[in-house]
Amino acid sequence: MYAKVVLVKDTDLKREDRTREFYTRLLDCLRETNLHSQIQVVRVADIGIYDRGLVIKILPDKVTYANVQDTDIKRIVEALSEEKVVEELVFKPKAKQYRLVLRNCGKIDPENIDEYISNGGYLSLKKAVTELGQQKLIDEIKASGIRGRGGAGYPTWMKWNFAREVASDQKFVICNADEGDPGAYMDRSVLEGDPHSVIEGLAIAAFATGASKGYFYVRAEYPLAVERIEKAISQAYDYGLLGKDILGSSFSLDIEIRLGAGAFVCGEETALISSIEGKRGTPHPRPPYPSVKGLWGKPTVINNVETLANIPVIVSRGGKWFAQIGTQTSKGTKVFAVTGKVKNSGLVEIAMGASLRDIVIDICGGTLSGKPIKAVQTGGPSGGVIPERLLDTPVDYENLQKLGSIMGSGGMIVIDDEDCMVDIPKFYLGFCVEESCGKCAPCRIGGFQMLNYLKKISEGKGKPEDLGQLRRIAQAMQKASLCGLGQTASNPVLSTLKYFEEEYNEHILNKRCPAGKCSSLVTYSIISEKCKRCGLCFNNCPVKAISGDKEQGYSIAQDKCVKCGQCFEVCKFKAIDKK
Amino acid sequence: MGKLTPADLDNMNKNSSGNAKDWIKVGMSSCGIAAGADEVFNFFVEEVSKRNLQIEIKRCGCAGMCYAEPLVEVSVEGLPSVTYGAVTKEVATKILEKHVISKMLVNDYIFDIDLDSQG
Ligand SMILES: Cc1cc2nc3c(=O)[nH]c(=O)nc-3n(C[C@H](O)[C@H](O)[C@H](O)COP(=O)(O)O)c2cc1C
Ligand code: SF4
Ligand code: FES
Repeated sequence: MYAKVVLVKDTDLKREDRTREFYTRLLDCLRETNLHSQIQVVRVADIGIYDRGLVIKILPDKVTYANVQDTDIKRIVEALSEEKVVEELVFKPKAKQYRLVLRNCGKIDPENIDEYISNGGYLSLKKAVTELGQQKLIDEIKASGIRGRGGAGYPTWMKWNFAREVASDQKFVICNADEGDPGAYMDRSVLEGDPHSVIEGLAIAAFATGASKGYFYVRAEYPLAVERIEKAISQAYDYGLLGKDILGSSFSLDIEIRLGAGAFVCGEETALISSIEGKRGTPHPRPPYPSVKGLWGKPTVINNVETLANIPVIVSRGGKWFAQIGTQTSKGTKVFAVTGKVKNSGLVEIAMGASLRDIVIDICGGTLSGKPIKAVQTGGPSGGVIPERLLDTPVDYENLQKLGSIMGSGGMIVIDDEDCMVDIPKFYLGFCVEESCGKCAPCRIGGFQMLNYLKKISEGKGKPEDLGQLRRIAQAMQKASLCGLGQTASNPVLSTLKYFEEEYNEHILNKRCPAGKCSSLVTYSIISEKCKRCGLCFNNCPVKAISGDKEQGYSIAQDKCVKCGQCFEVCKFKAIDKK
Repeated sequence: MGKLTPADLDNMNKNSSGNAKDWIKVGMSSCGIAAGADEVFNFFVEEVSKRNLQIEIKRCGCAGMCYAEPLVEVSVEGLPSVTYGAVTKEVATKILEKHVISKMLVNDYIFDIDLDSQG
């Protein structure tokens, strides 16, 4: 067995990967010093640090060196043999993940309640029921400062308190696991990886408010999540953690699962409630708020999956402890699902107040291609884009809103120069138009009109005055729509107009799509100097728009071209120009 | 076990900590399964019994590194606990032969190391 492990990885994206070469050199040097039998050198696939040249980590010492040069190898090995550290090379990573919500995800077997319990599970429910009582419990939640993670960011303790204060023979709690934002899957991962934490959170919410019945509203497209919640609920019943007289107390709670059919608007709380009642899932005006008059007219607390997964941590560690994490107005952590043009797509949990740059560059490694980031989209169809120059903004509810986006439920999409700032809002708006329930006119008609303007612009048929029209309709939708879907559907358009108006103008005035995305505005042509006359494009063009032969070379007839991009894809010599 | 009392819960919490046995955990959430984690899990179970190895094969949820699925975390005495990514049957074989049996880390597939685990 080795006494130490040295991990190596070349993190420079701009050159050929030198990990292997460096590994060999390091091994040679260790052999010369006779250390090779005590130290194992390991090439790793990912060292958690990006764009810092050669990085090495030494275990168990927990020393990290970055930007290591060939000439440094000798002194690193010397330092190793003398149990010393080369201070100038030491690298201290700034951004760190923070695991509160994902504390058990990837750690425990989600189908085994004993593993959850051995990691402290259900001790918070016990504490709430046997020690704290309702008032102190709600005080802890208030002290924690936690706000809803489902999008709107409403203080959780207030919801609970409203519901508690209403006298009623029956109250309800609901876990909102509808997660309809395209690209978001944080809630699915929590439900699949640690279902008991959400059940425990829901049970604590029920105890706090005096509810005796709870529902999980889960999208039917999440079969594995449903299966795992089902199992977890039945295990909790077996242990008397659900059902009658929980843990020997007088608190009783029954929980059921309801499947959502997958309409985005059913994630909106009033629509969700209608759907559980067996009615059509369409929103209703608020007030009355569900915490006062919700499911079957009874006080109902409805919380998001991630909100609930935080609750056991707050109860066990205390509201004050939780409130140390985060910013003035936004406490705790947030989980993001980072996708798009990013090197490491996946789930990231950070303390509120970390910057967007921390997330997409330091933790996720920047873009896969090594190209610069153009913007980051947060909040899905209700959110907006944030340009690269503002990536240092600390993430919290207020800051993102000031920038014209929202925290949303946690989708985050990294955008580079191949993404078009007319095409992206067109996609999101198209989604909202598709998902609008049609109950109110501003959303139904306004969304449709805005989408038509965007279509026109992306086809090169836009007029300068269209931008003013877009802004005007957006305003009307924000003010007059009944539910959050219509009120926020214009955000992607407004934020791209705010930061990337010149890109709209390129489409309108110069009939050009700088990203090469809007197919009607793209022209393909053959760069004759680069063309090797291999004929691949000629053979692959589906509409025979390419003429010529191997002697003469080829050309594309623009009137026949359908802009499918086949020739661009197949050419091995980059001889097709796309403009 | 039947219905728990508060004292039972405390005991279960205390008793189960501290038994540091060797284990392999396979990330078995939607993303992992889509990438072939099921197959890797079954492969480990079969091989471990074939080779008569003293190591427990467990399943767990997604730790968030979806870009590197299927993910497999390995903890054996004397080595830090390590997460391997993009694990195929070939890589799984290496993990068993090199990491579990010879107690050496496997090159090229490590995506994360728990710096606080035993080293
Ligand atoms: C169109 C629309 C869709 C929504 N979808 C979800 C969803 O999928 N999951 C969710 O938790 N909240 C969703 N919400 C927010 C809910 O209405 C509600 O605010 C939330 O579930 C409250 O929980 P929280 O306070 O814990 O965030 C949606 C809202 C709107 C307007
Ligand atoms: S805003 Fe849109 S989704 Fe919401 S109620 Fe009105 S039509 Fe339906
Ligand atoms: S088709 Fe022109 S170089 Fe290949």
